[in-house]
Amino acid sequence: MELFFSKRINVIVAVFVFTLMVFNIYNIVNNTPMVPDQFWAQKIFYFHVPIAWIGFLSYLIVMIAGILYLINKKTVWDHLGFAAAEIGTLFVVLVLITGPIWAKPIWGTWWTWEPRLTTTLILFLIYVGYFMLRAFGGHPERTSRYAAVLGIVAFFDVPIIFYSVRFWEEKYQSHPQVEITKQNPEIVLPFLISLVIITILFSFMLKYRLHVLKVTHNRKID
Amino acid sequence: MMFYTLVRKDLLLEFRAKEIIIPMFAFGLAIIMIFALSFNASQAINHAFSPGLLWIIILFISSLGLNRMFVLEKEFDAFTLTLAAPVDRGIIFLSKAISGTILLLIAEILIIPPFIIFMNLTIPSDWHIMVLILLIGDLGIMSIGAIVSGLSMRAKLSEMLLPILFFPLVSPHIIACVKSTNYWFKGLSFINWQFWIFLMISFVLVFFLLGFMIFEYITEE
Repeated sequence: MELFFSKRINVIVAVFVFTLMVFNIYNIVNNTPMVPDQFWAQKIFYFHVPIAWIGFLSYLIVMIAGILYLINKKTVWDHLGFAAAEIGTLFVVLVLITGPIWAKPIWGTWWTWEPRLTTTLILFLIYVGYFMLRAFGGHPERTSRYAAVLGIVAFFDVPIIFYSVRFWEEKYQSHPQVEITKQNPEIVLPFLISLVIITILFSFMLKYRLHVLKVTHNRKID
Repeated sequence: MMFYTLVRKDLLLEFRAKEIIIPMFAFGLAIIMIFALSFNASQAINHAFSPGLLWIIILFISSLGLNRMFVLEKEFDAFTLTLAAPVDRGIIFLSKAISGTILLLIAEILIIPPFIIFMNLTIPSDWHIMVLILLIGDLGIMSIGAIVSGLSMRAKLSEMLLPILFFPLVSPHIIACVKSTNYWFKGLSFINWQFWIFLMISFVLVFFLLGFMIFEYITEE
């Protein structure tokens, strides 16, 4: 089985993605307007929100891959679910780091039990359990099946978590994502560019991870 | 019919051996004592905290009970025989969730009087509403609990995996349980907090349906 970067196309894509990310940072630092009251703190929102969206998207992928795996038992769905769960959790951790960094100057505190932040934290904890289940599940085929089930169950939990936390605290604070539709195009455009670039980064990471899982799987069979 | 037989089997086993309810009760009592001693607070503070404490205790004893229920199934490989029964796997899930709920309710009936006494609480007169909250709460806890126990029972470190998976998944439901208990305890009329009851009911429905559909894949060999 060949190495991922021994294929020329993958190297080119990797360099391309890297360049895009550098461009993205440059674009955000230099070409976005300063928002009154927030100044530099607001810049993190160009990363925070796309990363959060992609994090949730990858958990959606985990659920869909889980359903498909339970239906036809093809290893590729299991790998897709696992890879998406790993990258999703990485992104969710980044959300949990960037959220407080933004919240400290704006809300004056590192952490509030704000609905989105709390939902993300609970999801993160569920996925910690997911990886433990993957590691300690025992028989490999059974572990894949259990992980698929857990991915589905976790996703069904999300809306309930969100609504329970939302009404848990009556006072409701403004959140970067809520304001996006009211922003002027100078902000929306770089935001969309960042979203697209992070989506490309995510797909590349997913492809890489799928490759690694496939190689490991084939080794085990041999 | 088969559902009834399975629930009866679980309950009969328990009433003869008392391996689940007695440990749940003893553990619950120990937590209450620790709570009461470590807070050593005035009655007003106890009143403010008690709904949350009550549901923490229920959550702890339910994870103990769930663990025990499914470990019992592992002894002599009993679960394989249960699976061999000519019955839809979803029914097995339902029977586990329902018998778990009944056992948890019994444990709660034992645990709540000492809780009230040790925490020095005065209870509103419309206590039957609380019974309803407990019932819906227990159904929710046991529905997700049965799914998670099914996932973790045959894993290595199953007794550790169960709470790690169980607590975050059940957290929205527990929030709703605590909220509605709190409002009931403060004596607010139902119209103010019906949202939480609806949230609990939707949690119960979602996870009973999901468990019913998905348990087949958990138990497949």
